[in-house]
Amino acid sequence: MSTQEQLAPSRSEGAHGGTGVVHGDPVQTHAPAHTDSIHLPRPTAYPIIAALGFTLLVAGILTHYVISILGVCLLAYGCVGWFREVLPHEMHENITVRVQEISIASARKSVGRLPGGAESGGQRAHVGVGAFSPLVGLKGGVAGGIAMIFPALAYGLIAQHSIWYPVNLLGGAGVSGMTGFGNPTMQDLRAFHMATLGFATIIHVISCTLIGLLYGSILPLMPKHPIILGGIIAPLAWTGILFAALPTINPEMSAHISWPDFLLAQFVFGITAGWVVSRSSYYRTAKSLPFAMRLGFEGGGVGREDGEDHR
Amino acid sequence: MADASLPIGSLDLTPEALAEGTFREYLHGWVTTVDHKRLGILYVLYALFFLVVGGAEAMIIRVQLMYPDNHFVSPEVYNRMFTMHGTTMVFLMGMPLLFGFANYLVPLMIGARDMAFPRLNALSFWLTAFGGILLYYSFIGGFGLYGQGSAPDVGWFEYAPLTTRTYSQGHAVDFWALSLFVTGWGTLGAAINIITTTISMRCKGMTMMRIPLFCWLLLCTSALTLVAITPLTAAQVMLELDRYLGAHFFDTQAGGSALIWAHFFWIFGHPEVYILVLPAFGVANEIIPVFSRKPAFGYTAMVAASVGIVFISLGVWAHHMFTVGMTSAANAFFTLSTMIIAVPTGIKVFNWIATMWGGKLRFATPMLFAATFVVHFLLSGLTGIMLSASPWDWQLHNSYFVIAHFHYVLVGAIVFSMLAGIYYWFPKVTGRLMDEKLGKWHFWLFLIGFHLTFDFLHVPGILGMPRWVYTYEASRGWASWNMIASVGGFIQFLASGIFVWNLLYSGLHGAEAGPDPWDAWTLEWATSSPPPEYNFAVEPVVASRRPLWDLKHPSDTDTQYE
Repeated sequence: MSTQEQLAPSRSEGAHGGTGVVHGDPVQTHAPAHTDSIHLPRPTAYPIIAALGFTLLVAGILTHYVISILGVCLLAYGCVGWFREVLPHEMHENITVRVQEISIASARKSVGRLPGGAESGGQRAHVGVGAFSPLVGLKGGVAGGIAMIFPALAYGLIAQHSIWYPVNLLGGAGVSGMTGFGNPTMQDLRAFHMATLGFATIIHVISCTLIGLLYGSILPLMPKHPIILGGIIAPLAWTGILFAALPTINPEMSAHISWPDFLLAQFVFGITAGWVVSRSSYYRTAKSLPFAMRLGFEGGGVGREDGEDHR
Repeated sequence: MADASLPIGSLDLTPEALAEGTFREYLHGWVTTVDHKRLGILYVLYALFFLVVGGAEAMIIRVQLMYPDNHFVSPEVYNRMFTMHGTTMVFLMGMPLLFGFANYLVPLMIGARDMAFPRLNALSFWLTAFGGILLYYSFIGGFGLYGQGSAPDVGWFEYAPLTTRTYSQGHAVDFWALSLFVTGWGTLGAAINIITTTISMRCKGMTMMRIPLFCWLLLCTSALTLVAITPLTAAQVMLELDRYLGAHFFDTQAGGSALIWAHFFWIFGHPEVYILVLPAFGVANEIIPVFSRKPAFGYTAMVAASVGIVFISLGVWAHHMFTVGMTSAANAFFTLSTMIIAVPTGIKVFNWIATMWGGKLRFATPMLFAATFVVHFLLSGLTGIMLSASPWDWQLHNSYFVIAHFHYVLVGAIVFSMLAGIYYWFPKVTGRLMDEKLGKWHFWLFLIGFHLTFDFLHVPGILGMPRWVYTYEASRGWASWNMIASVGGFIQFLASGIFVWNLLYSGLHGAEAGPDPWDAWTLEWATSSPPPEYNFAVEPVVASRRPLWDLKHPSDTDTQYE
């Protein structure tokens, strides 16, 4: 084992010795070392013997019991030999070490910096330089949810002659198994049902609230055109997904939906919720502030003087 | 004899210097080795051998399906081929490959001299090896459903009641269960070793939040392995009790339940997908930053996402069973839990993109494979989300759409990433660089072949072609899609041949690599290529996640930012 090499990490900028601690050096070679040799576990055949024995023990089930007996013998021999190698003292061998200098250096000498700060047109160091309060999202969702009721009811009244038509679709056909509202006729959809009104209200409140909260989180990421994202793109996206998926998930409900009117209601929701969210006060997240300011230090030069919204 | 420099209770039994050079001594050295690097190489060679075997079985399947009404092989042989292909690729190729990477790299990356339990490490490998041999012995040793020498032939997940003695006479099923029972113990040993090594053998300064992401991913994989393999092992014992001792665990007519087998299998089977893909994530986490010349974006988020995947993946298994007739509540639960796993995996995809964003990208062969892995994983994740919706799954379950989806994961993501890893760490293992020109030929041909095969296999799936089908009529409209897929299979096989040639050629004649050919940052590049038995003559001490960056740039160390 005379071909082993000892690695003494060094730097092109000036190697340091193997026993000194240099402050700031992430990799140090000061650890107490075996200077001439290193002790490693001794190679052994007992694991392969034990593995072969175990395999033959199992193989005997499929072939002949004699194979299993042979397997038991080998397994026992492997285990005993193994135990004797580690008990009472573990067997090692010495591996001789030969010193060789390994140069750890990079041909790349310069370190580039990504341009920072959205204001300078560069890459942001932190995603989400600012945020809305969670309550803002909640308010937006509630406002949007109230606003979209009107086009939906108007559609029901004008096109289906009943304001309960969209309510029943949302609350009844969507959860037909739970409300006993399976395979509804047009007559059913136009009539008032307390259960479907209850379910529709629950679904409407939950979904509007959640989407409003989502708006409160996402809109700061696209601060330039919040209405386009929240009012147009997002409703278009989820309406498209529903349009594609609903015929598979619930074909009956899908057949009763007028998609242009559905989309109109979603636009009303999106524009209202987006508008409420985007006109609310916007604050910078702490992680985009200087460290001293985050620690609470006060005084000149630790942060921006105005402390106002920068979007 | 006692040696004062050794730990208390150790003996120094250094052998006399042997005469070098005989083949017998060389072979003896490999058979008796407990060195983590040699065992890692053995694992990888074993996996590559079975990659060729499993690939050959896949080609037989593709030739059989190339034309309508084809009879290239008999139905019996066809059944064995798809069963053995799946079993081989998952148990004898995928898992040994990941454990090979882990064995070789984890100790080097954390600054250790060996695994925590070197002898257990050797036992684990040899159990895996002998289990594989036992499985393939079934081709001559078992007789199956059709009364002739046969390998297992009822699909790689061996559903009951096909596995009962009524439907599977002979020993084909037993060979499957018992050989994987043997490899399962090897897998458990390897997982225990990786966990213990990562937790308890890190060098000074290597805190858990400084270990390379590859080590984090292997830690997660090993933890998942411990939880997932045990139900399969238990189920295999129950299956053998059914077949040999008249138990009725999976016998519905005697009060058992065939469905219980499906639950047991998929409680193992779905985490198994993540057992295979998490190391692929780990490989990408090492390669993408180095070839983007930027630190990995969002280390903490990546760790959290990995741990999140481990937990969530344990609660999604029944999405493989939407069609068995579960309750609406169960369908809804497994649909939602499956969709939720898109969150941590999505975090990873965004972080890989963010790592590359603004970086100085260098598309050497490892980076080509790693970047393609990200794209493929994203696409396979999207079809996974589609299949997680139970109504969609009801339409496409057990169709070629599902085949295409999971091959996108297993080949498009896992194999591409592992190939990236082989190209990346080959210089460390052999001291020689792989040939770039051959590497690029391999990459482009494999990429083209992959997309021809697995993009187009989605279509016959949507048109209703079921998996495992032996042949089909021309009027079905599946012929041209299958022809394209088979041609793609041949191209992949050709590309794999180039890869094997590159391995052999570069191993013998490749350019000298030196210790750090990629200008990388983790500890394995701080030692020579190949590393000596002891890895590091002196124990490294680190102060950041990129110790070699700190050494190379002492005026701009990472310690300022972490």
